[in-house]
Amino acid sequence: MDRNIRWLLIAPSVVLIVVLTIFPLGFAIWTSFVQFDFSIGNDHPWVGLDNFRTNWEDPVWRHSLWVTALLATTSVAVELAIGLLLALAMVRPFKGRRVLMVLFVIPLFMSPVIVGGFFDLFLRRPFGPANWLLSGLLGHDVAIDFTIDSPWTYISLILADAWQWTPFMFVILLAGLTAIPDTLYEAADLDGAKPRQSFFFVTLPLLTPIVMIAVTFRFIDAAKLFDIIYSLTRGGPGTATYTTSYYLYQQGFELFHLGQGTAGAFMFMIMLTVVAFWLVRRMLKPLEA
Amino acid sequence: MALDALRRRSATRHGTTRVVRGSRFRIGAIVRTAFILLYLGFLLLPMYWAAVTSIKPQEDLLRDPPVWWPENPTGIHFTTALNSFNGWKGLENSLIIASVTTVIAVIIGTAAAYSMARFNTGGKHLAFWFLSQRMLLPIAVILPVFLLYSRYADAWFGFTLVDTKTGLILLYTVFALPFTVWMMYAYFRQMPVELEEAALVDGCSRLQALAKIAWPLAAPGLVSAAAFAFIFSWTEFLFAQVLARDSAVTLPVALAGVVTGFQGNQYGEASALTMVSLVPALFLGILVQRHLVRGLTLGAVQG
Repeated sequence: MDRNIRWLLIAPSVVLIVVLTIFPLGFAIWTSFVQFDFSIGNDHPWVGLDNFRTNWEDPVWRHSLWVTALLATTSVAVELAIGLLLALAMVRPFKGRRVLMVLFVIPLFMSPVIVGGFFDLFLRRPFGPANWLLSGLLGHDVAIDFTIDSPWTYISLILADAWQWTPFMFVILLAGLTAIPDTLYEAADLDGAKPRQSFFFVTLPLLTPIVMIAVTFRFIDAAKLFDIIYSLTRGGPGTATYTTSYYLYQQGFELFHLGQGTAGAFMFMIMLTVVAFWLVRRMLKPLEA
Repeated sequence: MALDALRRRSATRHGTTRVVRGSRFRIGAIVRTAFILLYLGFLLLPMYWAAVTSIKPQEDLLRDPPVWWPENPTGIHFTTALNSFNGWKGLENSLIIASVTTVIAVIIGTAAAYSMARFNTGGKHLAFWFLSQRMLLPIAVILPVFLLYSRYADAWFGFTLVDTKTGLILLYTVFALPFTVWMMYAYFRQMPVELEEAALVDGCSRLQALAKIAWPLAAPGLVSAAAFAFIFSWTEFLFAQVLARDSAVTLPVALAGVVTGFQGNQYGEASALTMVSLVPALFLGILVQRHLVRGLTLGAVQG
């Protein structure tokens, strides 16, 4: 009985995943080698590697890869830095800490479209308060088109992403910090270590595995950036802030070049898998040691 | 010599360093508080701005200098957004889709996790296969799924999946499963098997043991897995934007429609709809706070 029930229990999950991801991805392999374009017609003649080549020769595609890499690495770096500082600031108990903890994690439960919308509302000139606040702080008039002028568009996107995901780094690093036993700090103190030394020789080495986990998870998600682009810059100005996901969305669902879109999705997926694999290997290394 | 060194050490420990450290602590506390406050400002400003925008009368929206608190707050944007921008429909659809997804994902995910934890079904490979689904690229999945849904679903399965709640529920369940399975897998493995074994000895079937012993014991884990599944389905945008443009429209899609479909300024409506959609997610977020770290890292970090 047990022999059957174990498979019975696991079957629904496996079947559902296979039917809705593995099967479509197999179908997509075919799609990416034929002409599949709602704007052309219903025939699907074999075109070999043309779909892949079209992507590769499209400067917008190549630029989108750079934008994706740039935004993902910068956002993750910013989030790691702020998240770590915040975790260090919050690690000891103090009055009001519990309320702050609740406030700090709120962005994690929001739709990224909403976060993009928040920043659009906040940064938009002339009636968003960002320029007004900056003018007041700096003492002279500031008029920045955050969602139109490069490089401000990139900065706005990183700000929005950091706003939403810094809490992710923060809660994970805080859990890591809390897990470091006090006795280690006492031992370091006994040996005459200054606070800075105990940070570099106790905290950092013990935190590294958790930093790796947090960075891996966050980077893989950051490379898929789509929603915030959609509601904050819409890829603009022009195609300057197209991430690869946004580019593929445009190809597939605005222009209906579905063959080219799926081919591009495969190319991007392979690149992302290589990076993810490398990151996961690095992530698991300290755990095994 | 050695005694000298020791004495020096103990002197620094009991005397001078303590004093130096005291003042350093005070500076440290000031820096720490300043940093926390700065971050709090960064966090709250955009949220406050959206909240106050949702109750501003139309003429205050575009004023320069910006209006930080309207003299005549109004609820008009809430009624407009809900009544004429797909608000109610989006709210209803989102509630149904997220709830059904959560129920299905939790039930079949827990079953799978139980099978893996208790019978070691599929071994390590199957567990990591589930985990690898978390790495899937949504845009790579949605392109072929859109084709299958729109071109072939009717002919092959005999029912429509494009622009239906069923279509989205199926897809969301798949994307919610990896973390449901992994969270519950970790949970079941920590749970003692003895209770279930006792139940089996007393004549329970395996399914009874699962339903009457394992599930109730795993309730805290279940709650947070469910909350994560709900929040995921509640906030997801890309799939819904592609698959559900009209009759299955969800709240994020309705919202994006208000934000980007400019007909004059609809900032009030957009903000009002935002506020509406935040409520359930925030409530659930606070509920699962204790399991947050575990949920975010699929059990890789114990919070």
